[in-house]
Amino acid sequence: MKKGLQLALGILTAIGGFFDIGNLVTAAQAGATFRFQLLWPLLLGTIIVIFLVEMSGRFAAMSGKTIPEAVREHFGVRFWAVPFVVLVLLHLLTLAAEIGGIAFAMQLVTGIAFQAWVLPIGILIWLFLWRATFSAIEYSTASLGLVTLCFVVAAVMLHPPRADVLSGMLPSLPTDDAAKYWLYAVSIVGALIAPYLFYFYSSGAVEDEWDRTYVGVNRAVAVMGMSFGAVITAGLIVAAAMVLHPRHIGVESINQVAFVLTDTFPAWGFTLFAVSMAIACLGAALEVALSLAYTVSQTFGWRWGEDLEPAKDARFAMAYTCGVLLASLVMLLGLDPLKLTIYTMALNAMMLPVVSVPFLLLMNDGRIMHDRRNGPISNTAAALIVVLSFVLFVVSIPLVMLGS
Amino acid sequence: MHVMRELLDKQIVDREEEPVGRVDGIVAELRAGQPPRIVQFEVGFVPMARRIHRGLEGWSEKWHKRFGIRRSARYHIAWDDVIEENVHHIKVDVTAEETVAYDWERWLRRHVIGRIPGATREE
Amino acid sequence: MTRTRIRLDDLQGRVVRDADGRSVGRIFEIRAEEQGDDLVVVEYHLGSAALLERVGLSIMGLVGVNAAHVKKVPWDKLDISDPDHPKLLSSRA
Repeated sequence: MKKGLQLALGILTAIGGFFDIGNLVTAAQAGATFRFQLLWPLLLGTIIVIFLVEMSGRFAAMSGKTIPEAVREHFGVRFWAVPFVVLVLLHLLTLAAEIGGIAFAMQLVTGIAFQAWVLPIGILIWLFLWRATFSAIEYSTASLGLVTLCFVVAAVMLHPPRADVLSGMLPSLPTDDAAKYWLYAVSIVGALIAPYLFYFYSSGAVEDEWDRTYVGVNRAVAVMGMSFGAVITAGLIVAAAMVLHPRHIGVESINQVAFVLTDTFPAWGFTLFAVSMAIACLGAALEVALSLAYTVSQTFGWRWGEDLEPAKDARFAMAYTCGVLLASLVMLLGLDPLKLTIYTMALNAMMLPVVSVPFLLLMNDGRIMHDRRNGPISNTAAALIVVLSFVLFVVSIPLVMLGS
Repeated sequence: MHVMRELLDKQIVDREEEPVGRVDGIVAELRAGQPPRIVQFEVGFVPMARRIHRGLEGWSEKWHKRFGIRRSARYHIAWDDVIEENVHHIKVDVTAEETVAYDWERWLRRHVIGRIPGATREE
Repeated sequence: MTRTRIRLDDLQGRVVRDADGRSVGRIFEIRAEEQGDDLVVVEYHLGSAALLERVGLSIMGLVGVNAAHVKKVPWDKLDISDPDHPKLLSSRA
């Protein structure tokens, strides 16, 4: 019974955590500019994420260790030092972007400039982390995150041409604006494979005390949860393609993305969009902040855990407190959340080799994984992910330069 | 036992299996005509920094002298205090809360975290 | 200056040179044994196979490397009093 509940919860959490400002921006841009053509990076990225999330969970269940713990222990601090610093910076940028997303949603609804919302939002995020337990955060992001299904509803009700949608799922070459096309393709993948997702998932599995009996549940959560999240993102691409593309509305600011729902829901499309964006980004912000605190605490071997009261793990609490504070300050500088998101997603894509390669090596270690080490399918997927990750590493920054 | 693989960077826990820190350095005693003997672990940012870069060690030591809370920059755990070593952790005969490794934890609890309402969750 | 206490991890990745100054390999792993209450160093492992061993992964088998490929140096054949420059001691008496 407990496993059934865990499964349901895990799937919901995966949905809730999957869809964030990164997916929102990259999906809307892709749909508005290239119609259905960029559904294939979403499909590709989702397959990669399913494999990586499944492996994260399986690793945690078999070893009782999280990814940062395992990487430091097996590869040493000298190897881990630079990736660690870069990952901390990435977390801060991502957190800033999520805060920006919530702030923008508030601006849409109230008309009050988004900078005014940054600090109150930062405090709200911090308050959640301070008072809530891990399960409470799981439940709330999960159930509230379902509001993002409105994108799927909108996509369906707009009656997209089925043939075009299906052909978009196959890789294609751009007819024009190649730099932008590939930048968006890379950003879509980058938005899906954000490091915080795996680090949060593996720490969550340890917080929930998964053992080897959870390997099956883990697989179901990974596949179904990530797929649901992908469906929601696809819904946004389709809706943007149907609403923004014919009107030649390129996504220069997040305001424009809000129109995606107004054709389907004329009266309250704007508000619904704002609410969806705020909730999705809030859920993601909590995960990113926790992932940051997990990564720092586990690297140094501190006591950690969201389930512990802050007085019991003061350094862990300090880590997420400083994280939220710094990220809020970054946003207060007045950075455009849209641009920040694009750059951060490209950086995520660039960091994939660092995130995936050590981890994939660990998945083959019989001493840790016993009979659950990677089989031929997982290893083939792993090898392809490694190859793709190096491609992404090379192309990400040049594409950002060219595509902007 | 493989020193680098099984001891270095390993999680250290106390008697109650509370986390203490990680093995940041290993000190061995050289003896004439006898094999080197591992005498203690070093735990702390400064010994960890040394592994990354010698210059970083010097810099972090200076920082510790000016701003450090810990009673000592290098917390030493004698090999004799090791109770158990397995694939998960190295268990040591100490109480985490009382160790140098927890100086920052206690300071933050007292001066920052503990002062914010809600730091302890009453049932 | 010979120290009586050294940081064993200082040896990691250091090039071991013989009496003629030639490189013998890099130290990547150290094997120790419990003798009574003491934990003592038994041998040093050099070379790329040792690196794979330190990372401790089963890919050793995947790349066709096994324990036999690891270059092992017994404790009494290595002078580590200067851990930054470990020296291979001659086996000639």
